[in-house]
This record gives sequence, structure tokens and C-alpha cells, in this order.
Amino acid sequence: MSTGMYVHVPFCLTRCGYCDFNAYAGLDHLASRYVSALLREAGLAAPGWSSDQIASVFLGGGTPTTLEVAELKALLVRLRHDYAFAPDAEVTIEANPDTVDLLKLEGLLEGGFARLSMGAQSFDPLVLASLERLHDPASVRRAMREARAAGYANVNLDLIYGADGERIESWERTLRETVDLAPEHVSAYALTIEPSTPLGRKVQHGAVPPPDPDLQADMFELACELLGDAGYQHYEVSNWAKPGFACVHNLGYWERRPYLGLGAGAHSYRDDRRWWNVRPPEDYLSLVEAGTLPVGGEERLEPSDAYLEEVFLRLRILEGVPTSWVEPEKAAPFVESGLLLDHDGSLIPTERGMLVLNELVLALTA
Amino acid sequence: MTELTHIRNFCIIAHIDHGKSTLADRLLELTHTVADRDMREQYLDKMDLERERGITIKAQAVRLAYRSQGVDHELNLIDTPGHVDFTYEVSRSLAACEGAVLLVDAAQGIEAQTLANFHLARDAGLVIVPVLNKIDLPQADVDETRRELAEVAGCRPEDVLAVSAKTGEGVTELIEEVVRRVPPPAGERELPLRALIFDSSFDPYRGVIAYLRVKEGLLPSRSKVRFMASAIDSEAEEAGVFAPEATPVPRLEAGEVGYLVTGLKDVHQVKVGDTVTLTGKQGAHEPLPGYREPRPMVWSGLFPAEGGDYSELREALDRLKLNDAALVYEPETSRALGFGFRCGFLGLLHMDIVKERLEREFGLELIATAPNVEFHVIRGAETIVVHNPSEMPQPGTYDHVEEPVVRATIITPAEYLGPVLELCQARRGELLDLQYLSPERAEVHYKLPLAEIIFDFFDQLKSKTRGYASLDYEPTGYEHADLVRVDVLLHGEPVDAFSSVVHREKAAQYGRQMVERLRELIPRQLFDVAIQASIGSRIVARETVKAKRKDVLAKCYGGDITRKRKLLEQQKKGKDRMRRVGRVDVPQEAFIAALRVDQKAEARK
Repeated sequence: MSTGMYVHVPFCLTRCGYCDFNAYAGLDHLASRYVSALLREAGLAAPGWSSDQIASVFLGGGTPTTLEVAELKALLVRLRHDYAFAPDAEVTIEANPDTVDLLKLEGLLEGGFARLSMGAQSFDPLVLASLERLHDPASVRRAMREARAAGYANVNLDLIYGADGERIESWERTLRETVDLAPEHVSAYALTIEPSTPLGRKVQHGAVPPPDPDLQADMFELACELLGDAGYQHYEVSNWAKPGFACVHNLGYWERRPYLGLGAGAHSYRDDRRWWNVRPPEDYLSLVEAGTLPVGGEERLEPSDAYLEEVFLRLRILEGVPTSWVEPEKAAPFVESGLLLDHDGSLIPTERGMLVLNELVLALTA
Repeated sequence: MTELTHIRNFCIIAHIDHGKSTLADRLLELTHTVADRDMREQYLDKMDLERERGITIKAQAVRLAYRSQGVDHELNLIDTPGHVDFTYEVSRSLAACEGAVLLVDAAQGIEAQTLANFHLARDAGLVIVPVLNKIDLPQADVDETRRELAEVAGCRPEDVLAVSAKTGEGVTELIEEVVRRVPPPAGERELPLRALIFDSSFDPYRGVIAYLRVKEGLLPSRSKVRFMASAIDSEAEEAGVFAPEATPVPRLEAGEVGYLVTGLKDVHQVKVGDTVTLTGKQGAHEPLPGYREPRPMVWSGLFPAEGGDYSELREALDRLKLNDAALVYEPETSRALGFGFRCGFLGLLHMDIVKERLEREFGLELIATAPNVEFHVIRGAETIVVHNPSEMPQPGTYDHVEEPVVRATIITPAEYLGPVLELCQARRGELLDLQYLSPERAEVHYKLPLAEIIFDFFDQLKSKTRGYASLDYEPTGYEHADLVRVDVLLHGEPVDAFSSVVHREKAAQYGRQMVERLRELIPRQLFDVAIQASIGSRIVARETVKAKRKDVLAKCYGGDITRKRKLLEQQKKGKDRMRRVGRVDVPQEAFIAALRVDQKAEARK
């Protein structure tokens, strides 16, 4: 079984107003305890995954690079020891431009973190300020240069579009700067307002306008155009890659391969069962330190849940869903209106179709 | 049995909030009709709904025992509805009385409905006892209101009584004056029985109860009776009086007021205004004058918000009808809203009450189409009666249309006269006359199309006069009108529920506003949705709901999948609750909001 492994690091220098991830500022004093707990949890969980081959590891957060290189290296060594890794396993670490320098990047690469995913978000200082990001565009360029200097050959840049005040011209500049830096992979996300975040509350109170969906659609189309022209393949709703650089780990989620999550709030999935660790880092620590798996909840997918997931996840990627899964009269209007392609036995969303994927999923599974 | 000379039958004419129910409470207390420990506020208004709205829907008759100057008297207080929707019911209640207390809030002055009912009472030959209420209020202007009331009632200011129903001040004097001024009933007890039904209700255990005033003859407790207009005979089970709870008596005699357990099960057989007599040879030949079939003035389609609740709605309407003889309905099928009923009401208040009772007592969620009047479409010698705008024939297929008109009475502070006249003119009104009740208050009569006042006229009147103006109206027949049907089309499909019949000059504007409103209410779909208003085949307004371009979850990784699947399931549920019009999904809320009377009113400004 080809399995993904996700490791969550819940520490951040500051919290960004739009982010609803399980991440905390000011908990740095827990960092070394947390790393120990991760090592311990890896050991506790390993017997359940002994027949799996680990195809990918993804260190996400939070900001994993708030941890010391030595800690990160030790973690990966331990994981390789406790689990069976595929020879070509993809190992990704997320980083903020401000938390890395040449030395650290060299250390990470040498430690086996061969893929770097950097939160650039935007090259427009006003947009970065609107997102409450600390770094400036120059530090993204610097970090990118240093990554190359350190020897990184597989780098992703994360971008966010549609923040309050961002105009299409600004987004175009961000895309062009991104193309100029030539990362192997680009993730471009439409800003989503999560109700539980400070930004969500501002939108609710009318202090900040919600993103304009038509402008975000224009921005999406511009991304498709500019990234496509620059040789990136649009392989998932929000992801583009140079040939051969699609993210193995994330593809696993959309292809519904099993995954193991380690760390506070991390989710795991296999055989139509999904479960997740407790979210607060302190709770996570005390459970693991007491020698128990820190599971906070689980769900078992009914066949109808599994079907819905299968459709909405697979439609996100170029693979699409087998044409035979969907009643022909349900798919036909969308094929006709150019939202879906019926190609080689699969229904695949076009770029226009990707933009209204929820509607497609609901109509196809109705 | 009480001597006729010791009986007084009277009612109280008052505007909403002028203190009728409070005065009734004091009368019950001061005459010891209700024991102190049983007393509660608004005693006579039994239904919850009435208590909350502070108005009385069902007329009631209560017997008060009162000793005046050493002689026992029987005072029958007949409670009347105060709203314009129920003018006919009021007239029947008045016909059961010899006198009326004209009750006016000393801080507010007389209101149009009070004035209209006063005219009804005077025309019916009742003796009027004018009374100022709420004299305990600091803002009461006793002298000025007394002068105004005296002028209206045509009496001397000294003849106007002053009370506080709240504190009880002056109420005993009021009772004495009722005894002194209101004449005892006339009525030959030897003549064949003729009793006037002024109200009825349905009791689940005892069937239909008639409230009646015996005009002539005797009504024994158990007797074979005939309902003359309905032409139905029945074995009456019990006669009685309300004191204030139902108390059986051996018989009711000419001059008396009470109830009759009719032995019938269908409230529609016991009609307000009908005459009860005995069957066979003992019976009267001629009914009492003044009977009229109840006639709905306002129509609206009622549809269950959830399609499956149709049979529940039918059951609920059937049950309501048991107690509401004025409610009529027939099945209606709307392409947009599915199966429902086209219902006829006495007026807007009646409509609101029925709708609220359906929702509250039967737990139904309803979509009501905008209310409309009954139109008469004239084609040669033929008159087509139209209760539903979507059934209005297309222009060119008939000669002309007639609509109901009313004579409206408006009383307003003189300073707001300008805006009031403007409002009436804007509603196609025709000024009949204008006079001053006092230098500060004017009384205006207008001829107005009923259709123009059933939406928001009263609200507009109130807002233009800071709440001081009052309104009453009576139907005066049908008149020729230049009306056209405006249809609303979604993506080319007419939506019958949105069709409306409006005056030609206002039709385009109405269409534009409806279309603009719907543009706000209809969610974006995967294609451009055209919203059009048309008169016949002519499009008079058009808006487009642009196709939805973005509806996708930006991020979906391992930790998101469960949550995002649930979001999708929610979105799916929302979609399932929508109504499909052609290819367009329309949420329930859009129908409700677009058809809401006040929103519609918004569109008419």
C-alpha cells in the first residue's frame, strides 16, 4: 500500500488573520517537548502501518521551520527507522521565507527534506499587509535564491489571491514574479473566508468586504493563462507543476490513498475510516507522554459518503471520475456547456468547470 | 324571566387600543359577574391570538346582573369586532342592540373606524352613549375631545361621560347612564319566534353554537328550529346565556340575548345575519331583514413551503373553516409553487389571522402569494370572475375589466391633510368630500379602488401622519378600470405565482420593480438567468442574474476532507429545498420575500 505521512508542527511566529489551521503563536517553549512527543507517537502508531510503504512525507503547520534543523533531522531519521519508506519517497517541508537562511536550507536538504514549499502568498506589499504576513516580497526572492544556492531542485511557492484591496493588476505582477523565479511547483489559492478566524469576524461585521467571486474567477483564469504559458501543468484546482513535479503527497489525498497524520490535530485515513488527533498541543502532549495514541475522534464513511468523496476529490484532479460512475443524462449538459470533458472513459473538469466544481459535484451525485 | 323594561342590550364601539376590553373587564367586576378570584385581563377575548393582537375577533355576548335604584336589571353586553374587515358582522351585532357606548380615548380623539361604526349604529336606530376613556392619562385632552365627541354624536358636551376604565373612575355612573338612556327592547313574546344570529362558533363537543338576539316570540331550550336563509331544520339541544360562562336557561324570550346549541355540525349552516324560527306551523313566514351572504374581498394563494404538506394544509383549512364561516378556498395548482389553495378573505386582517393560525396552530410553513381583489372581466354579455391574476385573460380577448371600489373615510390631523390627499391621489382616488371635525382634525371621503388599499395603504397613511390618521372603508360596487396583467418570466418561463393585475399606467413601473427585486433574490446559476416582466407579449422590464463563475473549495487536503464533504452535503440540502422553475432553482425564501406584502409595497412606492 502506497501511503502518505503528514506531520503537523503547530507553531508560528504570529497568527495570520485569515488562517484557520491548528497553529499557535507563543507556544515555542513547548517545541522540544513537542518534537519528543512526535517521535513517541511515531513509535506508538507504527505497528498499525507495518504493511504500508511510505510514498511521501509532508511536514506542515504551522511553520515547521520554527524547529531546529537538528530536531527536524532527528525526526526524519526516526520516521525512516519506524516505517518502510519507498526508495524515491517525496519529503516536503513547509517554510516561511523569514524562517530560513542559506545555512538552514543546506541543513534541511542534507537531512533529506528534498522538497521545499514556501509561503510566498504575494509579491504585492499591500496584499501581504492585508493578509497580515510579516515578510516582504524581497525576502521571498532572497529565500528562493538561497534555496537554489543550497541545491534545492524542487520548490513550491504558495500564493493567495483575492485579498481585500487586491486588484487584477497586482495579481498579474505576483504571477509574473512567480514565473520569473521559476519554482517547479505553484499553489495558488483563492482567499477563503473562514468564519472562525479574525478575518472571518471582520467580514461578518462588515469591517472587511468579502472577496468578490467574479474577481477571484478572473484571477483564477489569469493564473491558468500565465502559468500555462510558462509551462506549468494545471493538475489540480489550485495546483500547477512543471512536468514531473506534481506533489506526490497531495495527489494521495485526491486519489484517496491512505494517509497517516502525526501531531496535534492531524488526520489519518484508511479503509473508509478517518480519525484525528486532539487539536490543542497541550492535550496532545499529555496524551502521548502518557503513552496513548492521542486520537480525538473518528468517522466511518458510509458508502454514500465514500462515493461523494470519491467524486469531489477526483474531480479536483486531471484524472477525473470514470464516465461509467455517472448517469449519462446528468453529465451530458455539462459536457455540452464545456464544463466537463468526456475523455477516454473519464469525466474531467475543464478549467471553467474547476471553478464551479461544487455545482458539478452536486449535479453529478444528485 | 326578566321584565322587558329591565333589560338593556348594548355594545361598545371603540377603536383598537381605546380601552374597550378594559372597560368590559370593569363592567364584569363592578357587576360581580365574575368573581374577583377568577378575574383576568381581557376576560372576554378568549383566544390567544386575540389577546396578543389586542383585538376581538369573535363577537361575544355576556349577561351582567345589575341592581339599579333597587331594581334588578339584566344588561347584555354584546362585544363587536372593531376592524373594517368585519363591517357586516358589526352591523349584525348592532342589530341585536338598542344602545351603543361610543368609547373614545381622551388622548387620541375619535378615529375613522369608530366614526364609521358610530354611523352604522346611529343608522340602525341605536341610542348612543358617548364616553371619554383614559381620563387618568396626563396627555388626555378631556375638554377638547369632549367637544369633538359631542359634535360628532350630536349631543351637548355635558352629555359626554368621562371614565377611566383602567382605574374604574366613572364606570358605575356609566352603567347607570346605560340603564337610564338606552331603551329597553321592544318585542312581542306572543308572535312566532324570530331570533337574529349575530355570531357563531364551533365547539368540538357540542357542535355549532349560535349567538342570537330573540326579536320576537319564545325560544325553548329544546325545540325544533329552522334556519331560514340556510333552509335547514335542526333539533336545538340547549338555550342559555353567558354569565359570563355558558349557563343553560329553560328558554330565551323576545328582547333577550343568549346562545343556542344548534345540534348542527357545520358552521356554514349557521350564518351570521340569519333568522332562527321554529319549524312547522309555529314558525315565522318572513325572516328578519338585513341578511347577506359573506363575501370575500381579498384573495391569495396559500402553498405549503414543503410540497409534501399539501394534505396537511387541506386538513388545517378544513378545521379552521369549522370556526370561520367567512373563509373560502378552492384547490389551486401553481406551476411554480405546486399544489395549494386559492383562499378568499374578508380583508387583509382576516387573511393575516388565518395565515398566522395555520402556521401557529397547525405548524405549517406557508408561502402566500400577494393578495388581490376579485376582478370582473367583461366579454360581451358574459362576466368572468377572476380570483387569481394568472387566470386573467390576455389583453385583446375581452371588452374591459371591472374592479371593486370602496368609499373610504379618513380622519387626520389637519396638518397632515396635504400628504393624505397626495397619497389618495397617487392611489387613483377620487375626492368625494372634505370637512373639518374641529380646526385641528379633518374628515375626508375618497372613492378608491380596493386593490389600491389592500397592500400597504394603511401603513403609508400611518407613516405620513405619524400614526394619527385612521381609516375605514365600505365597498360600493364594481367600476370599469384600465387594468392589465403583468407576468414575470424566469429564463423565459412565466412564474404564475408572480403574476399581478395592475393599472396600466403603473404596470411598467411595477414590472421593473418586481424584476429588480427578484434579481436580488435569485441566486446565481450556472447560466445567465433572464428575469423579465411582460404585459401580454411585450417585455417591459429585464434584468439578468449573471452566471455563477466560482463555486469551488480552494483547498482540500487531508485534514479538510471530512469538513468539506459536510459543507457539500449542506449545500446539497439547500439545493433540495429549492423550487425548480424551468431550469432555474429558486429558493423558498425568494418566493416568500418577493411576495411579502410590505416588500411588494416597497415596489409600489
